[in-house]
Amino acid sequence: MSTPERIGTIREAINEALHEEMQRDPAIILMGEDVGLAGGVFKITNGLLTAFGPERVYDTPIAEAGIVGLAVGAAMTGLRPIVEIMFSDFTTLASDQIVNQAAKLRYMTAGQTTVPMVVRTAMGAGRRAAAQHSQSLQAWYCHIPGLKVVMPSTPADAKGLLKSAIRDDNPVIFMEDKMMYNQKGTIPSGDYTLPLGKARVHREGRHAVVVSTSSMLYPALEAADLLAKDGIEIMVIDPRTLSPLDTDTLIQAAKETGHALIVDEGYQSFGVTAEIAARIQEGAFDYLDEPVRRLGALDVPVPFAPSLEDLTIPNAAQIVELVKEMLA
Amino acid sequence: MTQSAALISPPDLSQIPIETLSDMYRRMVTIRKFEETVYDVYSRGIMPGLAHLYTGMEAVAVGVCINLRPTDNITSTHRGHGHLLAKGGEPKRMFAELLGKAAGYNHGKGGSMHIVDLSLGILGANGIVAGGMGIAAGAALSAKVRREDRVSVAFFGDGALNEGLFYETANMASLWQLPVVYVMENNTYGEYTSTARSTAGSAPARAEAMGIPAICVDGNDVQAVYGAARWAIAEARAGNGPRFVECQTYRWRGHHMGDQGDTYGYRTQAEIEEWMKKDPIPRFGQRLIDGGRTDTATLAAIDAEVQQDITDAVEFAKQAPYPDSSEVYKHVYA
Amino acid sequence: MAHEIVMPQLSLSMDKGQISRWLKQTGDRINAGDILLEVESDKATVEVEAVESGILQIVLGPTDGEISVGAVIAYVRAENEAAVVQPAIVQPAATTSIITEPVPIIPPARDNGQQSRRLPSSPAARRKAAELKIDWQQATGTGRAGRIRERDVIRFAQTSTQTVTATAAPTISIQLTPVARRIADDFGLDDASLANLIPGKAKIERSDVEEAIRQIVRERQTALAPVAALAPIGPATPVAPRREAMGAVRKRIADRMMLSEQTYAPVTLTTEVDATELVRLREVVKADSHTTLAPSYNVLLTKIVAKALCDYPDLNTSLEGNEIVYWPTVNIGVAVDTERGLVVPVVRDVASKSMSDLAREMDELLKRAAQGKATPDELTGGTFTITNLGVYDIDVFTPIINPPECAVLGVGRLRKTMVVVDDQPAMRTMLTLSLTFDHRLVDGAPAARFLQRIKQLCEQPYLWLS
Repeated sequence: MSTPERIGTIREAINEALHEEMQRDPAIILMGEDVGLAGGVFKITNGLLTAFGPERVYDTPIAEAGIVGLAVGAAMTGLRPIVEIMFSDFTTLASDQIVNQAAKLRYMTAGQTTVPMVVRTAMGAGRRAAAQHSQSLQAWYCHIPGLKVVMPSTPADAKGLLKSAIRDDNPVIFMEDKMMYNQKGTIPSGDYTLPLGKARVHREGRHAVVVSTSSMLYPALEAADLLAKDGIEIMVIDPRTLSPLDTDTLIQAAKETGHALIVDEGYQSFGVTAEIAARIQEGAFDYLDEPVRRLGALDVPVPFAPSLEDLTIPNAAQIVELVKEMLA
Repeated sequence: MTQSAALISPPDLSQIPIETLSDMYRRMVTIRKFEETVYDVYSRGIMPGLAHLYTGMEAVAVGVCINLRPTDNITSTHRGHGHLLAKGGEPKRMFAELLGKAAGYNHGKGGSMHIVDLSLGILGANGIVAGGMGIAAGAALSAKVRREDRVSVAFFGDGALNEGLFYETANMASLWQLPVVYVMENNTYGEYTSTARSTAGSAPARAEAMGIPAICVDGNDVQAVYGAARWAIAEARAGNGPRFVECQTYRWRGHHMGDQGDTYGYRTQAEIEEWMKKDPIPRFGQRLIDGGRTDTATLAAIDAEVQQDITDAVEFAKQAPYPDSSEVYKHVYA
Repeated sequence: MAHEIVMPQLSLSMDKGQISRWLKQTGDRINAGDILLEVESDKATVEVEAVESGILQIVLGPTDGEISVGAVIAYVRAENEAAVVQPAIVQPAATTSIITEPVPIIPPARDNGQQSRRLPSSPAARRKAAELKIDWQQATGTGRAGRIRERDVIRFAQTSTQTVTATAAPTISIQLTPVARRIADDFGLDDASLANLIPGKAKIERSDVEEAIRQIVRERQTALAPVAALAPIGPATPVAPRREAMGAVRKRIADRMMLSEQTYAPVTLTTEVDATELVRLREVVKADSHTTLAPSYNVLLTKIVAKALCDYPDLNTSLEGNEIVYWPTVNIGVAVDTERGLVVPVVRDVASKSMSDLAREMDELLKRAAQGKATPDELTGGTFTITNLGVYDIDVFTPIINPPECAVLGVGRLRKTMVVVDDQPAMRTMLTLSLTFDHRLVDGAPAARFLQRIKQLCEQPYLWLS
């Protein structure tokens, strides 16, 4: 069911991808809490139960481990399940299934099994949903060999990357920013796929490169405009897939600019920013004029009060300040 | 733990074809000899890692698996050699896997607790207690969605009964009437803690609470297990939803090879010896002889053949090479 | 009086020796002719005899490493004499030959406190420096904690007076510590010379460079004093040169001259001025009964230069970093010779002062300055300097710019000469002016125009009214 190319939201892009893929491949099933009748708490899976019926779209009980566990078994035996975990914070309940089962079965069985499944989940702060509903745990899953981790930031990326994730024979954690479902952009029509493991350069610039994941693209672009007024031109790159990471592109950008800032919404310590910074430092050391800088969420549980929550999330002003500090 | 509903009595021997009976006997002997060989090899320090022996519980694996087709799925536990062999696993490739050799089922990359053979429908032993629950139910789900005539059997122990995953997956299996059979091997101890000290209420009752019909049988009577499994599997296959079978049995050896001295003081030698008297293999053999379905010589011949198979398997495994270093990077991603 | 035993010069090339072993001990009675010790020179191990008899007092031994030729290694005293108290630092004896004299090393002009600490730098800076074949450690870092960054290296390459070697000449690659490099550069030693002077050393350090410089100085001195170089081996008694510590004033002048030479791009232009009219003007003013104080030539020139600077403000500037500062007023310093050295008192805002005011002010100021009584304020703030050596019969010279100014005017003597005027010979009073300017700030043509304007104002005083 392809629609003509249009401007649409990330929500619409994901919905479109799900529709098109489930239409294309009868092995794809969708499982999750309230994904069927209610169309998903974020209304991402609207219309899918109607379109494909209860044998393809399952409203599950609240049992994250069970849902993912079933998905693993189903994936091993011929289906391609897409599991929706409502809030990425709840993936903790399914940790064993994701980390010990899905990620490792292919390796432990020396390739006898594959686990072609996608776990879609909503991450990110800003919704005033407090500490247990606002986390960005991508670093955890990037850390596990056998998993792939994808984080789209635009509607086009959402559609293209989700299709590829579904078609990928590995377990893919597909992390959507809950604050970005209404973000508009071009949605290419038809069977639009994007390769996993490839970054996208959103903006060219010669003074510094800002690597931003997921929704951090937007403060990065905002910062770029602010900096341009002061004659500072920054490159903005979105890795799009965190694992496997398009390290070469990032290293090349760091070499060209000599200054790099990594922005991710996960807690700053022991996270994605540290890994990317380390890779850039290893690959572009002789071209760096400054240490690679990181900007993550504050190392505190996400607070409820809006004024406090906003303090914890990286923003454009902080990006501007860090870039200026690097170039001073 | 209180007894629950019906303790189904064993089906009539005369109604079971001799080939099947022979097969059952042979499989049990295979498991016994395999496990005892593992005990021997491990004790000599040749086998790396962990080994959890199934000795004494053979009737459960065999009684269930004899009712399954190659296309049916099973998931097993950390104590999985019995199920794997009962489902048709080759001793050679299994032993090679236990020794970490390239000729093993998993090229040496999984070891004892993770052996998989998709051609036999074996979806793996699992190192996580209750880890197989989700997989078994998931396989049942795919069978239903794909309209394939496939049943999944989830083997698990009394310890796994208390893992949350059991309830989450069994609930969904029941809700969606998935063709999965839950076979609980109650060998009295979850590691070193008895069921009396770890499990409230009754196991079958828990299943029934979720709308899953459950029965309890003598796990050391292969006929009883056979009968119960036949019922459960048939029901599941017919689309009547999941079934739960509790088999009461006992493991002769420790939880794993490392505790042969039984130093944890959780059971007495007397208890072990009591259960050893209920050894399912001679018990079954004797019943066959008494029922006129076979004779001592035939059974002895089976014993000898199996022994040779196992000996050959061990030799094969010992001679087999280790995996090449390049194997370490393979199969991380598809 | 105890007799000193010094490290002997055992060969022409020896300048340091190592005591192998003493054959006598402190307190031993020795006789002339006794073998006292064995010394290793650069060529051989040699026995050293006592020249005097007496009681031996050993000062230095085998564990003291390499000892300079001429250094005291022992004393021989009479029996009733007290032991010689050692000075805190054993200096090489003044009575030895010229070769062993330590030559004072000109301290590096660059004011960088981190002499032996590794300078912080970014990887990009070092890579760029390697690319440009320059020493990044000479760049001034503008990063945090003074870190040298790529842009600092690039700027250094562009503004440095060092030539960047890009050429066909084979590059001699030797490694120097930063301090060694600085000292070598200050003395004008390039890599080739260093490689010759300090052969076979993997990493050249400060002491190596200092020693090399000493050697060069020695050679120069030797070339000037051939008799001294042929002095016989053994105790000799040449006359020691007089030594005086550099006074503060002298030192300051020395530093400023070096700074000027090292950072500026000086060019000197000269022109001959027909000062006949100027001389006549002065005579007329001097003769006038209303004149209380006739302006000296310094005063007249100060005023002329100020006017010329108003016409050509590009020479009333200073360079700060990459910025050109255009000074709002013309403050002219006039060089004055004093007992203690050169001082340059400054007359502020010359352009706004009348000639008579200027004459009064400068007369008083220069007198005081000559007596060393100028205040510190009066010695700073200049934007241009005039230096007049005419009274010493100097015509042309190459004055050094007074930092941070852009230019300096050297004034020669007034002299009567035959010149050609309108194709006819004529006797005129001529004056040579020498203008040194900083080519970083100003090019040749504008500087020449400025000098030409001065000449014009000297030759046609009427133009002062324009």
